Amino acid sequence: MADFLARVQQLPVLGLGVSTEYGASLAAGALDPAALRRAAPEFAGFLEVGVEVAKGLDAPARAWADAGWPTTYHFLDINLDEPEDQDAAWLAGVRACVAALRPAWLCGDAGMWHFGRRDRGHMLLLPPVLIAEAVAPLAAGIRALRAATGLEVLPENPPGSAFVGDLHLLEFFARVAEAADTGLLLDCAHLAMYQRLTGRDALDGLDHVPWDRVVELHVAGGRERDADGFRWVEDEHGVELLPDTWAIARAALARARNLRAVVVECERNPLPAVLPLFTRVAAELPTHMRPVPRDSRPGAGA
Amino acid sequence: MNPRALQQAIVRMMYDPAFLAAVHGARPVPGLAEAERALLRRVDRRAFTTDRFRRARAVQALVEEFPTSAAAIGLASVDAFLSAPEFHACVTGRGALALAFGTWLKDQAAGAGAIEAAMARLRRPGPAAAGPAVDAPAADAPLICGPRFAPLIVPAGTLEWYEATRAWLGAEPLQRLAGHGPRPGLPRRGLVRGRDRGDEFVLLEAGADGDMSLGTASEALVRLLRHAARPRPRRALAAEAVARGATAAEAPEVLDGLLAEGLLVPA
Repeated sequence: MADFLARVQQLPVLGLGVSTEYGASLAAGALDPAALRRAAPEFAGFLEVGVEVAKGLDAPARAWADAGWPTTYHFLDINLDEPEDQDAAWLAGVRACVAALRPAWLCGDAGMWHFGRRDRGHMLLLPPVLIAEAVAPLAAGIRALRAATGLEVLPENPPGSAFVGDLHLLEFFARVAEAADTGLLLDCAHLAMYQRLTGRDALDGLDHVPWDRVVELHVAGGRERDADGFRWVEDEHGVELLPDTWAIARAALARARNLRAVVVECERNPLPAVLPLFTRVAAELPTHMRPVPRDSRPGAGA
Repeated sequence: MNPRALQQAIVRMMYDPAFLAAVHGARPVPGLAEAERALLRRVDRRAFTTDRFRRARAVQALVEEFPTSAAAIGLASVDAFLSAPEFHACVTGRGALALAFGTWLKDQAAGAGAIEAAMARLRRPGPAAAGPAVDAPAADAPLICGPRFAPLIVPAGTLEWYEATRAWLGAEPLQRLAGHGPRPGLPRRGLVRGRDRGDEFVLLEAGADGDMSLGTASEALVRLLRHAARPRPRRALAAEAVARGATAAEAPEVLDGLLAEGLLVPA
């Protein structure tokens, strides 16, 4: 198999897109991705579908895929560093969803999605422990899932209020990407949370990032919270970006020469409320990102 | 350092304030090396408790699966499970919350707890137990109780209390329980011989669609199936059938009938 920097040239440029998960677009006041695509096709070049295999795909996600519109598959139920999590039944479910969505790649938070086995009441999302010993198990899981699906698997830096470990988050993910020979999904809002929680500047540690491996970015609004004097940022997916998130996004857009996709995560907000954010992000996209639906093509990058 | 042990410790710190305090305490914490504990202590302990509803969501999940047990012991006791060794073992042992809760319950919710713990087990068949029998078993091949069935012996009156409590809980058990303490009247085995109302023999069946059917069964059938809780040679089960009232001539026919209905399957 060619190395990732060769393989990435075959990944399609998806442009600007929007995210969803099971039932999200059916809630009152939530964003309907298909309506966004009709209203502003340049903002909905693809749909990133959050998938829990146990729930499957909802009707709007299936309809999007059935229309032949581009998708990516965002997993919500796999602890990549636990080999036993990739059991036969779960992999069969993943393959069924992949067959329905025909995603450009798999991606998702490379953290702990559930404690114990995959079961009712077990779901959470915690960042990985940022130590050198945690790199190899995570990389092995990424390689295994890539082999099982035949699709690229892009780990994403998860959100959190507690980051444990002595490595900078960006150094940790750089090591994971190298060990798994894979690309990265950089969530700018999640990174801003980490930087703030650990007392760092928004752009601290960007030199760790192997920018030619960054394939996808996420941007989303967050909410500042305070309890007992402890301050953190909640991953709200609102439409108001924190200044730190915006600064990270702009820095990433300027550096990631193999970037293929940017997701604005705002699924719980109505269409009129999200348009200004999409407009703002679209204005910053580099020229090689061609945010026009159906205009994705392998090799259009760099 | 062991990243999985650290990750599991983080989960336990988030759910259990006592464990969080132990990590920050003076004594060693079993399962955590001192270097690992030091790493955890470098993070502001308030960072692990930002989600005020984490425990409540776990309680909700447990109440959904153990509604009458929760009614029997009260929500405060359900919440206490999240600080129990069984919960911590579930996190560190890749267990299932519901199964760990069923283990922790022991006899706290008497027969109601036994019924709901059995339901939780039937919803989660192990890979070996889930396979259907496709061939006729050899003449004395070991047999075992079918994976869709749970034979139970509970205190007399349990089923009536269980069904009445399900009706009382309504469609939103958690909301119903929030304003109440433990619901009285659950039959329990008497501590004094002679004051016991006796037993009720119950057979629980999981349908293919996940629905559970619960009903009384004969003492002989329940005891025979409980004898088959682990693999038994056919002749041992035939002897048990005879001990439960069948004639020696009837026993093979009884076993064949149970095999045909899936109550017994090849082990």
